[in-house]
Amino acid sequence: MTQPRTYRAVGLTLRKSPAGEADLIASLYSREHGKLDVLARGARRLTSKLMGHFEPLTLVRLSIARGRTLDIVAEAEVVNAFPDVKADYASVARGLHVAELIDGFSASSASNPQVLDLALQTLDAIGKQSPAATDDHSPDLPLRYFDLQLLQLSGFLPELYQCVECGDGLEPERHRFAAGAGGALCADCITPPEIVVRPLSLPALKVLRLLHRTESVDRLPQLNMPATVQREVHGILSETLQYWLDRQLRAQSFLDAAKLA
Amino acid sequence: MTPDPTPGTTRSLGQLIDRLHQLPGIGPKSAQRIAYYIAHVPDDEARALADAIVAVKDMILFCDECRNLTDASPCAICANPQRNRDQICVVEESRDLVALERTRVYRGMYHVLHGTLSPLNGVGPEDIHLPQLFARLQDQDSPLQELIVATNPTLEGDATADFIYRRLAGSGIRITRLALGLPVGGSLEFADETTLSRALAGRNQLE
Repeated sequence: MTQPRTYRAVGLTLRKSPAGEADLIASLYSREHGKLDVLARGARRLTSKLMGHFEPLTLVRLSIARGRTLDIVAEAEVVNAFPDVKADYASVARGLHVAELIDGFSASSASNPQVLDLALQTLDAIGKQSPAATDDHSPDLPLRYFDLQLLQLSGFLPELYQCVECGDGLEPERHRFAAGAGGALCADCITPPEIVVRPLSLPALKVLRLLHRTESVDRLPQLNMPATVQREVHGILSETLQYWLDRQLRAQSFLDAAKLA
Repeated sequence: MTPDPTPGTTRSLGQLIDRLHQLPGIGPKSAQRIAYYIAHVPDDEARALADAIVAVKDMILFCDECRNLTDASPCAICANPQRNRDQICVVEESRDLVALERTRVYRGMYHVLHGTLSPLNGVGPEDIHLPQLFARLQDQDSPLQELIVATNPTLEGDATADFIYRRLAGSGIRITRLALGLPVGGSLEFADETTLSRALAGRNQLE
């Protein structure tokens, strides 16, 4: 049976790159088809009907025609442009962290609607935060929730309840963490020397378990986490994400640098 | 190691095709077409093209004041006493400056960033000419009346504008952004919601 010549998709734009004189290639994560690369002909022209539809972090509804190498956008309609996320550069960097990770952890044509829902809920939560949110109210907690839940949906959730080496339950204050080993370790187990092991405090372990157990980003409690715990949780999740992606997290590095500036 | 030339071409033509193919917007077929065109033009024309490329690399430098590409610093705009020094327009690229000059409406000064903040590409404030902008504003003889941020209305352009605004908030400088909305000859029906909402927010009274 031949495939229909056109199909529909609703997807979040992850990134775009210029192509030819006035075209662009947009990379989207769609509910129906997973990651899609599509060609938007003439979309960089000021008078193009497609202009403005493919900015990163925009949810679009598309009608797409199958092409020889790339599929071509026939029609586009913005569903949600997340204007609050794009209101200040720190929120933009947070939003792009979401896009970067979905891009890194998803494969072409492998659809997982839960990933898209998680991304959209996280972007909503980022947009609701005030730009003046202080460290006291853990402004990056929705991002940490996204990090952990994406690891779970991708099959890379670190073990948080028992030692990954011996399988025994973790005792309070006697645990460590190794992304390369797959999660938390008890104090007694010995890992191969090439695996980096870092300390894991009880408050950080509790926050990680809370992020794991919370049903949705809207239900995250307002936590007044000390800065040291925030840094520890951030470090553990970044290390785990970078271990599986095998590269640095660019948007997060930008955000960290912007906070220091 | 130089790759083997395309079958049917010589090594020198193959090298030229490879070089042209590295230019933005030039695909393999276009590169081949241009290379064969150059092979057929008279010697003096081909040498003039090569000389022009070398001259650009030898002579072009950044203007010390506005960071525009120029043959001599300060550039013609910065050296022009007729320009209004109370206004600085911040643009992403030199070609944006050329586009604004073409309007013949703006008579102030410029500052060229040569890029935008781009978290996904690892481009931070230090990687574009933002520190030079802030230093320039501090060194101004008289206080600046207006800083016009004319970065593109893209995610990165807006983030850069926001960064500049937050950095200069409280400095007393009036910071403005180019109006955003519908293009001349555009169609309301096909405009995206962001463009339309910005057009509504920036509507003008008919006079």
